[in-house]
Amino acid sequence: MISAKGQPSATARTIVEFCRFAREKGLSASVHETLGALDAATVLGLGNWDDLKFGLRSVLCSSKEDWDLFEHCFEAFWRGAAPLSDHKERQPEERSSRGGRNTTSLMSTGLGDEVSSEHDGGQAVTGASIRERLTKVDFSNLPQSDMVILEQISLRLFKQMSRRLARRRRSGSSRGQVDLRKTIRRNISRGGEPMNLRYRERKPRPHRLVTLLDISGSMSSYSLFLVKFLFALQQHFRHVDTFLFSTALVDITSQFRGRRLQDALLVLSQLPAGWSSGTKIGGSLREFNQLHRRKLRSSDTLFVVLSDGWDTGDPGVLAAELGAVKRCVRKVIWLNPLLGLKDYQPITSGMSAALPYIDVFAPAHNLESLLALEMHL
Amino acid sequence: MSPGVVEATNMGILQILPSGARQGVDAIISGFERLGYVTDRSLATAIYLVAKLRKPILVEGHAGLGKTEVAKVLASFLGTRLIRLQCYDGLDVSSAVYEWNYQKQLLAIKIEEGSDRTVEEKERHIFSRDFLLERPLLQSIQVEDTSPVLLIDEIDRADEAFEAFLLELLSDYQITIPEMGTIRAKHVPYVVLTSNRSRELGDALKRRCLYQWIDYPSLEKEMRIVRTRLPSMEEKLARQVVGYVQAVRRLSLSKPPGVAETLDCAEALVALGKPQLDEEAIEQTLGCISKSVEDGAKIRNAGVGRILIQSTEGFG
Repeated sequence: MISAKGQPSATARTIVEFCRFAREKGLSASVHETLGALDAATVLGLGNWDDLKFGLRSVLCSSKEDWDLFEHCFEAFWRGAAPLSDHKERQPEERSSRGGRNTTSLMSTGLGDEVSSEHDGGQAVTGASIRERLTKVDFSNLPQSDMVILEQISLRLFKQMSRRLARRRRSGSSRGQVDLRKTIRRNISRGGEPMNLRYRERKPRPHRLVTLLDISGSMSSYSLFLVKFLFALQQHFRHVDTFLFSTALVDITSQFRGRRLQDALLVLSQLPAGWSSGTKIGGSLREFNQLHRRKLRSSDTLFVVLSDGWDTGDPGVLAAELGAVKRCVRKVIWLNPLLGLKDYQPITSGMSAALPYIDVFAPAHNLESLLALEMHL
Repeated sequence: MSPGVVEATNMGILQILPSGARQGVDAIISGFERLGYVTDRSLATAIYLVAKLRKPILVEGHAGLGKTEVAKVLASFLGTRLIRLQCYDGLDVSSAVYEWNYQKQLLAIKIEEGSDRTVEEKERHIFSRDFLLERPLLQSIQVEDTSPVLLIDEIDRADEAFEAFLLELLSDYQITIPEMGTIRAKHVPYVVLTSNRSRELGDALKRRCLYQWIDYPSLEKEMRIVRTRLPSMEEKLARQVVGYVQAVRRLSLSKPPGVAETLDCAEALVALGKPQLDEEAIEQTLGCISKSVEDGAKIRNAGVGRILIQSTEGFG
């Protein structure tokens, strides 16, 4: 029998070796899991191959991705069917085939992030200097080699930011309903007469957020990051509506909601949303006003447009429609990646038509500028 | 948990499961099937490990594939109680673990007003077990005779704070109530967690659990499920329904139909008295298969006839 304690038997050693092998292949088989695997092998015995495999799988896996990976590991280790490198080569193919033939650049980078963060685990420690440099670099000038690191940093920082946002609201909220439990506790010495009332703070009620992201050709080097930014943002608003636009408006709220980032990106890449086409901001806003205006509430809605303002439509339409939106929301925020350029002036006809209706006009060309938005939210 | 606790609770399962691992897994498969749940060896092995290693199991998979059912069937298989906690956004400790019965406490304070008990005695009285409202998690460690099955359904819907709390419970199987002290599990429950993967769960929680992914069933398995659940249904019709649903699943809908939808559709056809699946029957039961207008339109546009032909081709 295999024993985790005392002298390890040959079988125990094999199990441990398999765990190490699985770890190299990207499963999270740490000491804890290895001990679990030994326990499972002890209980199941080595008599039945399938049972052992299923047992080890349930111990060593903790997600669908692990689940798929395990199959290869097990085969490769015990049946010697596939050499180590074979699987690594196969992996990108499999992933892209899930996304179908027409995977856009958004997809490939999006999944690259997933692979690296899951498989490198804790090893991906980024130096402070790199981080410093990368938070300031313009997305469009980013070398491909830095992409993965920047994505890791940004995901972490976005998460931190949204957590801070959530906390800030909590401390600022007003008196809510009476907290009976604490009230009783406080008033036992007064014979239970509730003289000294304790309140339960009202659950923070964040703003509603409506965002429109420009995915036309001129924005293509920024769109990917901005999509991720929006995804991170939506976690901490009670109600979020997200739209993409280029020449037409696409509602991606439901694609975003209740999914993990990778899954959401996969779905988005398959939408016929007109990635990298022309821009009709005014027309898209009109469509928004016609179909979705009831989603705006002047008391608590933030309306965010992420666009460079290059509009091929009529600037008069843009002004009129944005004005209509402005009347129904608390704040209009326009994020323009071009604002990061030193000598940029918002003088394109579209942008200058929109300016009078904008409360916050801010850059969105690098990580630093996105994080700076926190104070406007 | 102390070793004594484990031994005591393992007694129950030993009576049900035969000694060898292989026989044990076989017993689970046949036992589950008797209860109307068709399972495969992978899940049965994991359940066997749950029973033997006393670890929680995390079951993930798409909606409608019987994740919740695993816990229900496990409970009836073991002949023990099922305690269910449905998670939702904003679930907090007072609705998951315990709450004091405030109204009753207020009344008790009033009644005690004239008595000559000291304040400490009064306090002990109103914070005694009589005034405690036990919620599912507390119930699950309070069961007197055997280990219950604790189902924590859709854990991905609860927030991270709750997940962290759960972690504590699942490692020590004890709950601390400030006014009363620590309550330890009399019998460690069998814990089944389910998730729809709407968000990534914390690593710590995942590491503590065995894992099981439930995928859409193969044609043969789904046939067996339909035949087991609806034994009175004609085999030909059952085959048509299963083939049709399997074809619909390939359409990349926003919500592909699960096994639950297959069974709904099959039952609907029986209720409508349809001898076989035709265009009219598909139209009438579309609501069982697709739960949104867009998906419904997709199924229609894909050509019901074509799907039908595809589904019958599979059987030669």
